Amino acid sequence: MTELSTLPEQEKSLVEINNLRRWFPVQKNFIDQMLAQKIDYVRAVDDVTFNIRQGEAFGLAGESGSGKSTIGRLTIGLDKPTKGEVIFDGINLGKQSSEELRKLRRRMQVIFQDPMASLNPRMTLGDAIMEGLRIHKPELKQQHRDMVLTMMEKVGMTPPLFFFNKYPHQISGGQRQRVVIARALITQPDLILADEPIAMADVSVRALLLDLMVQLKKEFNLTYLFITHDLATAKYICERIGILYLGKMMEMSDLREVYGHPLHPYTQALLAAVPVPDPHQRRTQPMPEGEIPNPINPPSGCRFHPRCPIAKEQCSQVEPVFRELRPGHFVACHFAEQNL
Amino acid sequence: MANQNEKLMEIRDLCVTYKTRLGSVSAVDHVSFDIFKGEILGLVGESGCGKSTMGKALMRMIDPPGEISSGQIILEGEDIMGYTPDQMRDVRGRKISMIFQDPMTSLNPTQRVDEHIIEAIQVHEPKTTKENGLGRATSLIERLGIQQRRLNSYPHQLSGGMRQRVMIALGLVLNANLIVADEATTSLDVIVEAKLADQLREIRDEFGVALLAITHNIALVAELADRIAVMYAGHMAEIGPVEDVFDNPLHPYTQGLLSSVPNIKLDDTEELYKMAGEPPNLTHPPSGCRFHPRCPKAMPICSKLAPKFEEVTPGRQVQCWLYQDHPQKETPAIKVTA
Amino acid sequence: MEQDNQNNQTSANSVPEWMLDLDRVGFVRKLFISRKWYGGDWWFVAISAVLLLFIILVGVFPQWFAPYDPKAEVGPSLLAPRELPPGYSLIAPKSAGELKLEDAVARGSTLGFVYGSPASQALREITTQMNNEAQEQGSKTRYQPRLSRFETVEEGLEAVLSGKINGFIASPAELGESLEKYPDLAIAIDLRGEAAKGFLMGTNQIGQDVFSRIIWGTRIALIVGLSSAIVSFLIGVPLGLISGFVGGPFDRVLTLLMDSLYSFPGLILAISIAAVLGAGIGNIIVAIAALYIPTYFRIVRGQTLQVKEELYVEAARSLGATPLKILVKYIFPNVIPSVVIIFSVNVGDAILTEAGLSFLGFGLPPDTPDWGIDLARGQDYLRRAWWLITYPGLMVTTVTLAFSMLGESLSEILNPRLAEL
Repeated sequence: MTELSTLPEQEKSLVEINNLRRWFPVQKNFIDQMLAQKIDYVRAVDDVTFNIRQGEAFGLAGESGSGKSTIGRLTIGLDKPTKGEVIFDGINLGKQSSEELRKLRRRMQVIFQDPMASLNPRMTLGDAIMEGLRIHKPELKQQHRDMVLTMMEKVGMTPPLFFFNKYPHQISGGQRQRVVIARALITQPDLILADEPIAMADVSVRALLLDLMVQLKKEFNLTYLFITHDLATAKYICERIGILYLGKMMEMSDLREVYGHPLHPYTQALLAAVPVPDPHQRRTQPMPEGEIPNPINPPSGCRFHPRCPIAKEQCSQVEPVFRELRPGHFVACHFAEQNL
Repeated sequence: MANQNEKLMEIRDLCVTYKTRLGSVSAVDHVSFDIFKGEILGLVGESGCGKSTMGKALMRMIDPPGEISSGQIILEGEDIMGYTPDQMRDVRGRKISMIFQDPMTSLNPTQRVDEHIIEAIQVHEPKTTKENGLGRATSLIERLGIQQRRLNSYPHQLSGGMRQRVMIALGLVLNANLIVADEATTSLDVIVEAKLADQLREIRDEFGVALLAITHNIALVAELADRIAVMYAGHMAEIGPVEDVFDNPLHPYTQGLLSSVPNIKLDDTEELYKMAGEPPNLTHPPSGCRFHPRCPKAMPICSKLAPKFEEVTPGRQVQCWLYQDHPQKETPAIKVTA
Repeated sequence: MEQDNQNNQTSANSVPEWMLDLDRVGFVRKLFISRKWYGGDWWFVAISAVLLLFIILVGVFPQWFAPYDPKAEVGPSLLAPRELPPGYSLIAPKSAGELKLEDAVARGSTLGFVYGSPASQALREITTQMNNEAQEQGSKTRYQPRLSRFETVEEGLEAVLSGKINGFIASPAELGESLEKYPDLAIAIDLRGEAAKGFLMGTNQIGQDVFSRIIWGTRIALIVGLSSAIVSFLIGVPLGLISGFVGGPFDRVLTLLMDSLYSFPGLILAISIAAVLGAGIGNIIVAIAALYIPTYFRIVRGQTLQVKEELYVEAARSLGATPLKILVKYIFPNVIPSVVIIFSVNVGDAILTEAGLSFLGFGLPPDTPDWGIDLARGQDYLRRAWWLITYPGLMVTTVTLAFSMLGESLSEILNPRLAEL
């Protein structure tokens, strides 16, 4: 069970994730299925609890298999949880009909990782951006075109009339991502799920895109759920961050708090592993042994215990509780006090 | 450490062109540099800069419609551009070996790990017996941190990091002098990447093998490399020792690039530098210096003539009019102190 | 210098010149300029487009191109291409002086010819034609010469000499050297049938002009080919889309059905359906259409399954699009390019199948000018009259080829990735 600290009144939660679980049954071939006694599951998300405050940029960081993308999709209702609930602005997503959920989409939008793949190659850019308006605000049909052109200017696609009739393959990667951002913002959503939005852009373009996202957040009063594996980038946009490992949240707090005082051994290793663009500051800290285990059969007790430098016997037997060690700073580790 | 005096490979005026429907693309345009024995050279650049093409060109693995149109690649004193296919086969694997980005597709899914390594040995040293080969494979695998029992596994049974280490093993088993790693860690998780980087450094220390790390991850190069080479649009913009280049980048592109790399350290509070424009389309490259449309310090001469890649201080070379003189240039060249 | 810098800055952020140029020009110029930017084998497109336009024009307005009625017997049978049909000469005594045709074939005149000579037909043709003309002009004259038959040319010529008959009609082949024995006789009138110039592609057994038949055959081929392709398309594509999108038991059943239909050898299936439905052009269209429905279904279903998993479909879902909209706006346009190629090849193939069906005697009434029918009729004449099957065969090949070329070039145009700059 998680103990959430009492939130001050003005920091309203836009999204509440409570004990979220998403298990994927493993596809087996016919014979194995007949012979198996139980079904194996990939526990992509296993009892995760956190909340996202209105107007903040919340980061979900982790390596592969951590479940961060899955949580993202569950948060905006693109997937249904196996257990637990997702509460968006007081509305329990799991209890909505598909039509109600569809209408709710106006308020939660996605920026995907691969801009080329997330744009319909047969739709012009203007058309693609207008789609959200067509679906959710059909009554404003006359103004659709102008609204799209204005938005294109805002995301830096100038001159907008030039790009309006272009196709995705005719523009560069950075520009495509801007189109995706415009498409997401046109419906004036409350929540934006950004799933590794700049990972596929060129290095010199990433800074521009990040800057754009920060500016738009201020201008439109957006809330971001920012999913990334790149902790260095997260520093420039996320206010709070949660570190995931193998489907569980290991640590969560303000970004500066987590980066400055990491309490979980995994977080410490992760932060140390990120290379620093300064040859005078090379890493000396050794990395944890082993590799990320198979999510079908996660380690017992604390999932990190086989690789943890401070693991004791208790760690393999009892799962640690996600508890608040410092104000607003949560950790799931039996011995996190050592690092206080 | 790197032996700065002994050159392993000299690349002189290399040009690689691709013929496309829309014209000729010069992916690598008159590039010259050296690779020293036992050094780790990081080759960085954005998409389309030609770094991957460069890596393949070093092993003469450019397939049509591309070709190495001119230049020399001198390995151990001989120009391999003149080698016959048989001689090149000998070079590949034994003298230079390559690690690719996606280990899943570069390993044969129907061969076990030990079969891979033994085959590599037997191709180049046909007289080696299977036991001998197996012995060498085992010791190498263990040295790289993979358990011996993994030798019997198929590639799909290994994790990404392990597969990359198998690739490295394939490179090392024949005592290659140079390993070209083309985005070898890009698809790996950050902790695995860090461990692999450590391992590469250890391998360099122990075996004395040089490593050309081609990557767009500049922070990784800062972590790992002895020297750094920056490419832009088929040209080499700058090359030099990694500390010097990071402390004092000379080429405006390098300056912009290094300032736009995110830094995880909290005490780094600099805003990320936002570079204007995008990398150019190489079928219509800008005239003169290819970076001039985006360059904050561009001068009139930059759009007319391309500067030469010259040494400005021992060990550092730059291709930029700021540091060179020319009759058409009005301002004098900036002198660089070492 | 500062000014230059600023210009550089703005141009770096804005769009390259040549892209702006491309945008500013009108459509026609854009087509012309695009061929350079889009690269590709635009000449391939141009050739196939021109060829097809021509074929369609011929099919829609055959009367503009065909010199004769395809069903009419306009010439001697089995005339080789460009071979001049035999002309006939009217031989009369030199003493008769200027002999006019009207007088020669007038009521009182007697004309002779050899038994069984085609000269009789020529004469008949001429008199009929003159009678028709006279009728049109309102004249009451009727031309009907008396006919006299002879065993040999010599007998006929003797008769002329002796005055028994007014004139003798024979072809130059028949005359041979005979005329020289009669210095008093000369060729008075050169009679030629209508087809004085010969036929471009020769005539068939009945005397119909092969060229005209081919021209008119285009119409049938296009009608049957296009109609059956359109019917297959209209049935196969929606079924494939829905089946791929919805999945489940519906999909399974339909796939099984289509696969079993697909496994039938094509022509046999068409024959069976045609035999059941009976003759008639509509039934032929249905039979051939049924043949191709499974092809469309399979391709479209496969593509739908693939496109369904694409990220932009998920993006559409996350935008809040309804399933119908996703199917129509996101899946269908991305599935269509592969279908267009199939369509064009389909038309060509349908024409071939139709030719095959009519070759075997199914469907079309026997005197319809159709390539298949012509091929059937001409198959025994390969050595004697090669033109009977060569030209219809060439037409089938050319039209099929033209449609295939169209398909290929369309795939280049419609697939935006191929137009990458």
